[in-house]
Amino acid sequence: MTAETSPAIEPPAGRGRDIAAKPRWRRFLTGEDGIQKVVFYIPLVFMTLFFALPVALTLVWSVFERTRFWMEPGFTLFAYETFFTSARAENFLHAMMHSAGAVVISFVLGFPIAVFVRRRVPEIAQHRVILLFILPFMISELIRIFALRPVLSRHGLLNSFLMDIGVISEPISAILFTPLGVVIGEVLSFLPFMVFSGFLAMEAVQKYVFEVCDDLGAGTVSTFKDIIVPLAAPGIFAGSVFIFVNGLGVGLIPNILGGPGATNAGSIVFESIVALDFPLAMAVSAIMIVTLMALLYIGHRLFDLTRILEPIS
Amino acid sequence: MSQNADNAVEVIDLSKNYGPVAALKEVSFSIESGKYFVLLGPSGGGKTTLLRLIGGFIKPSAGTVLLHGRDVTDLAPNERPTSMVFQSYALFPHMSVAKNVGYGLKLRRMRKAELDERVEEMLAMVGLEGYGARMPHELSGGQQQRVQLARSLVLQSDVLLLDEPLAALDAKLRKDMCLELKRIQEKVGITFIHVTHNQEEAMTVADRIAIVAGGELVEQGAPRDVYERPVRRFTADFIGENNLFDGRVTKTGGNAATVDLDFATVQALNGNGLAAGQAVALSIRSELLGLLTPADAENGGLQTIPAEYLEEVYLGLTTSHLVRLPNGQEIMVRTLSNGEAAATFEPGQTVTVGWKTEAARLHPD
Ligand SMILES: Nc1ncnc2c1ncn2[C@@H]1O[C@H](COP(=O)(O)OP(=O)(O)OP(=O)(O)O)[C@@H](O)[C@H]1O
Ligand SMILES: [Mg+2]
Repeated sequence: MTAETSPAIEPPAGRGRDIAAKPRWRRFLTGEDGIQKVVFYIPLVFMTLFFALPVALTLVWSVFERTRFWMEPGFTLFAYETFFTSARAENFLHAMMHSAGAVVISFVLGFPIAVFVRRRVPEIAQHRVILLFILPFMISELIRIFALRPVLSRHGLLNSFLMDIGVISEPISAILFTPLGVVIGEVLSFLPFMVFSGFLAMEAVQKYVFEVCDDLGAGTVSTFKDIIVPLAAPGIFAGSVFIFVNGLGVGLIPNILGGPGATNAGSIVFESIVALDFPLAMAVSAIMIVTLMALLYIGHRLFDLTRILEPIS
Repeated sequence: MSQNADNAVEVIDLSKNYGPVAALKEVSFSIESGKYFVLLGPSGGGKTTLLRLIGGFIKPSAGTVLLHGRDVTDLAPNERPTSMVFQSYALFPHMSVAKNVGYGLKLRRMRKAELDERVEEMLAMVGLEGYGARMPHELSGGQQQRVQLARSLVLQSDVLLLDEPLAALDAKLRKDMCLELKRIQEKVGITFIHVTHNQEEAMTVADRIAIVAGGELVEQGAPRDVYERPVRRFTADFIGENNLFDGRVTKTGGNAATVDLDFATVQALNGNGLAAGQAVALSIRSELLGLLTPADAENGGLQTIPAEYLEEVYLGLTTSHLVRLPNGQEIMVRTLSNGEAAATFEPGQTVTVGWKTEAARLHPD
C-alpha cells in the first residue's frame, strides 16, 4: 500500500509536518524541552540566589579579618573566639532556652487549636477559620510587639485585670522587661505558625482515623498521644523549628520587651553591625544557620518532613 | 416494643434527618444473632446512615437501637458491642500491621504476651500470617482490608459492621474477599452487617438481604427469595434483570389474576390478594422470558405478547435480545448462548415473547 492510496495514515503525517513548521519561539513555549525545562530550573535558581549563596557568603565572611569599616579577605577564627569568650555565648544560650520555652507554650496552646479546627469545624469552614489566624500578621510586627508594653507593664491591662478579679493584690512587675515578657512576646507573635503547620499536618490525617479511635475506645488522651501526635509530628516539628528560629533571630522582641541587657541572636547580630564588627555578625549568623540546619536534619531523620506536604500533593 | 435477646440487633422506628434531608424514615427491623446480614441498595439510599446509627457514630433523630435486647441508643461507639470495618483503608498509617490489630487490646490493657498471641491468631484467621511487622503502605488494598477485619475481630464484639468493605477492590479480588468474609463469619459465628450496592457481593455473602432505598427498608429476605420472589416493585426493578410492565387487574379468580397491559392481556398468579381495578406492575426476570416460534406460541400454556426484534447482545454465557413492545417499551430477553441452535432473528422481525404463568410476579403500586 502506498501513501497516496492510504488516506488513513495521512492525517497524522499532516500533523507531524505542522509541528515541524512551528516557529522556534512557539516550540520554546510549548515544547517538551523548551520552557518546561526552564520552569523546572526556577526553584534551583531561586535556592541558589537566596539560600546557598547567602549561606556561603556568611560562612566565608565570618572568617575574614575585621577592618575599621568593613573586612578583608583572610582566615581567622577571631570572631568566633570573641563570641564564645564573651557574655554573648551565654546570652545566646539563654535566648535558645527562652525560644524553646516559647515553642513548648505555643505547642500547648496552638496545636490543640489546629486539632480542634480539623476535628470539630465543618470541612468547608476550616480554611476560613485558619485564615483568621493570619489577621494579626496584617499589623506590623513592631507595632504588635510594642503594643504588648501597655498590656504587660506594672500598671498595664494584665495586672489591673488580675487585680480586678482578685487573683492578685499587688501588681506583678516581673512580667515586662524580664525573660517572661520575652517569652510571652514570642508566643503571641509566633503562635499562628504552630496553628498553621499543625493544621496542615492534621489535614493529612484522614477523618476516619478519629472514627476508628472512637470505635476502638481510645479516649482523648490515648488518641492524642498514640495517633494524633505521631501523625502530625512533621507539622509540629516544622512549626517548632519556625518558632524556635524566629525566637532566636527576631531581635525586636527582647529589645522592646526584655529590658536592659536582654538579647537574642538577632539583637547580637544587630549590635555587632552597629559596632561595625561585620565578621562577628557573620559568625553569629553562621552559628544560627548551623543550629537550624542541625535541627532540620534531626527532624527530617525522625519524622520525614516531606510528609507535611502530602495533603497538597 | 419487642425485646428479643436472640436478636443481635433490633431497630425500632429509627429516623435520621440531616437538616431538611430525611436520610432514614422510621425504619424497623431485627437481625437474628449469628447471621450475615446485608444492607443492599442504591447510592444515597441511607445504608451508611443506618449502619452508623447502629454503630453509634451518629445519633438518631428518633427511634431506638437495641443490641441483644439492650437499649444502646445513647451509647458511644466503644460502649456498644459493635465494631466497624471502614470502606477506605482505615489503618493507622504509622503503626505496623500487628500494632494496628493489637491497638484496641492495648487500650483494654491486655498483657503483652496474651495480646501478641491474640494478634497472631487473628492475622492467621484473615490469612496474613507473618505480616505483623509490615507497615500498611507495604500492603495491597485487599490485604489492608484484611488487617482492618482482624483489628475489629480481635475485640470479639458481638456485631461486626462493614461499610462497603470491598468497594475499593478490583472485581476479581472482590469476589475472593467475599468468599473469605463469608468463611470468616461462619468461623467466628458473630453477626455481620455488611453494606454494599453490589448485588453479586450481597448474594455471595448474605444469609439475609435487606433492600434499603429512599431512607426506607423496602424489603428483606433470604437472597433466593429476594431474587426470585421480590414482593415490592422497587426490589424487582433493582435486583436481577427484571422486565417490568405496568398494567391494571381486570379480573381475579382463584389464585389467578387477569392483567391488562394495554397492548395485551395476560394471566398471572395473584399472590397478594389483589382486587379487580387495581393498578399493578408485572415483573419477569429476563432469563425466564423466551422468544417463541409461531409453533411454540400455538402450543399454549404460555403467556405471550407480540414484539419487534431489535438486536442481540452477546455476553458470553448468555445472550441478551432486545425487543420492542407495541407500546414502545424495550425489554430484555436473555438466553443461554450455547443452547441448542437457537433460531436467529432479524432486526425488525415480528416475534412473540412468552413466559410460564408462574414466572411473572405482580406488585401493587
Ligand atoms: N453528613 C450529612 N449531611 C447531610 N446529608 C447527609 C449526610 N450524610 C448523608 N446525607 C444524606 O443522607 C442520604 C443517605 O446517605 P447515606 O450515606 O446513608 O447513603 P448510602 O446508602 O450509604 O449511599 P452510598 O451507597 O452512596 O454510600 C443521602 O441523601 C445523603 O445525601
Ligand atoms: Mg454509604
